[in-house]
Amino acid sequence: MSRAIIDLADATRTYDLGRVQVHALAGASLRVDEGEFVAIIGPSGSGKSTLMNILGCLDRPTSGRYVLDGTPVEELDDDGLAVVRSRMIGFVFQSYNLLPRTSALENVATPLLYQGVAKRERLARATAALERMGLGDRLDHEPNELSGGQQQRVAIARALVTEPRLILADEPTGNLDSHTGEEVLDLFHELNDAGATIVLITHDADVAVRASRQIHVLDGRIAA
Amino acid sequence: MSLLELTRLAMSRLATSRVRSALTMLGIIIGVASVVALVAVGQGASTGITDRITSLGTNLLTINAGATVSGGVRQAAGSATTLTLEDAAAVGTIDGVAAVSPELSTSATVVAADKNTTTTILGTTEAYPTVRAYSLWQGSFLTDTSVEQSLRVAVLGSTTADDLGLGASAIGTDVSIGGIPFQVVGILQTKGSSGFQSGDDQVLIPVSTLKRYFTGSSSSGVRSIGVSVATAGQMPAAKAAITSLLEERHDIASGGTDDFTVADQTQLLSTATSVFGLLTVLLAGVASISLVVGGIGIMNIMLVSVRERTREIGIRKAIGAKHRDILLQFLVEALVLSILGGLIGIVVGLVASAVIGAIAGWGFTFNPLTLVAATLFSLVVGVLFGVWPARQAARLNPIAALRFE
Repeated sequence: MSRAIIDLADATRTYDLGRVQVHALAGASLRVDEGEFVAIIGPSGSGKSTLMNILGCLDRPTSGRYVLDGTPVEELDDDGLAVVRSRMIGFVFQSYNLLPRTSALENVATPLLYQGVAKRERLARATAALERMGLGDRLDHEPNELSGGQQQRVAIARALVTEPRLILADEPTGNLDSHTGEEVLDLFHELNDAGATIVLITHDADVAVRASRQIHVLDGRIAA
Repeated sequence: MSLLELTRLAMSRLATSRVRSALTMLGIIIGVASVVALVAVGQGASTGITDRITSLGTNLLTINAGATVSGGVRQAAGSATTLTLEDAAAVGTIDGVAAVSPELSTSATVVAADKNTTTTILGTTEAYPTVRAYSLWQGSFLTDTSVEQSLRVAVLGSTTADDLGLGASAIGTDVSIGGIPFQVVGILQTKGSSGFQSGDDQVLIPVSTLKRYFTGSSSSGVRSIGVSVATAGQMPAAKAAITSLLEERHDIASGGTDDFTVADQTQLLSTATSVFGLLTVLLAGVASISLVVGGIGIMNIMLVSVRERTREIGIRKAIGAKHRDILLQFLVEALVLSILGGLIGIVVGLVASAVIGAIAGWGFTFNPLTLVAATLFSLVVGVLFGVWPARQAARLNPIAALRFE
């Protein structure tokens, strides 16, 4: 049996909205092994985005335990979480979330900036990542000069430039046409083949079937 | 992240909104420029006044004949002829006194060929140019001999010579002063206004000659005595010595009312210096207010910027930026604005003070201390008004920031 990279046990997440308390996660347990390609699927409002935020160390569970690659996350402070995000995790978002008015190259190089990588190496690695995504001729383009598919490929290049162990993708194909969406999913498979663990969040069953394992989320709980 | 990378990031960010950055900097530019310019103006004016006071004579003490009390009414200073030539001679023997010039004046019409002017006729001695800091343009000055023998010789002030149409060739010719012929022996160099009276419109003749032909020779009284003290350090001692000597000579008990006054150049100088010092501080203070307003401008724009870039902050946090990375990014942006504004402000301020100095005629005073202070001050403004918005940015919750539209 291979090593668990994600080990979430009975996690809850409650948002306190003054008078109402929203239980976005109500005791979710989840284990993902290193090298897996997992799809988390569920309807909107099921808590899958909250789950992704917690898995990505952007948020902490209200209760429960999350061990990421052997490290109990609740023991880390905010900067500790930032270091985990920087070193271990690559994010791909539905809305790409590229830095505006910043070239594709600078966008991809930015995660390395926060790792303290020197400028020359930063640019070399960012260039390589973009070339791998087939964007070698778009280095100086700013996000608003790129198509949706190209922007998502820049975002994927940014996620993989740090060679993360875990790639978290939140509806990565949601804003793309089906053909471009297929291409993006192919890229994830390539990355998975190269050794990265992929957790893909989607509400689309057609996307989910491409993963090696599907996890269903419903009402803040893991359904199956 | 190194400071270099932070600065590079800030510069490229500020370059994307040039107009906004320029307008924000303008507040600091105006603030720093006005501090630099106004301090330079204050110092220039102060130096100008000091120079003019010094031009009255170096280390000068002026003894004026005191007022007499006539029927209980105190008369104007100088109305008494209590000072005498003998007093002047006695003062000349005091330690530290370099030169003494007794002065007595009247007014008369001077006629040369076809022109005439009415001016001050000042009777004095050969020490006058030393004491009052005059230099000779043409000819020679009054001599010991001309004073002893009451010769009818005259030295013209430059303005008086102009009024009479006399130039270098006039040396040796005769002019008529109050109907009496005098030989012109010299013409003084132009000294310029001392700010109190024109020192260039007068005719100098031996004090003995003035007495014999104009004021009557019976009395040896003089209006005032100019005293030049050897060094500035000896001024207080010399002043005290003169006062006690004259009190003794005039039979005035100590504590009694003196019939003379000793005016001190250093008093005037120190008063002027402190007044202008105060003025400079006041001007700099007023200008500093605009610097603070400029700082508030930076804070305002940084707060707007943090709000506009909430999503960017969220992205940066998601891809690994720490609290400190975001804090420093925004702080350095504020600092780049304030320091760049400060440097441009210094240049503008120096140009402005050079122009004002050229117009006012006191030249360009360059004070490195002002520049250091202005740079430091704009740095402090940047930190002071940049740190709060930067903290706001760094404390943003990454999820909330990412969701922000």
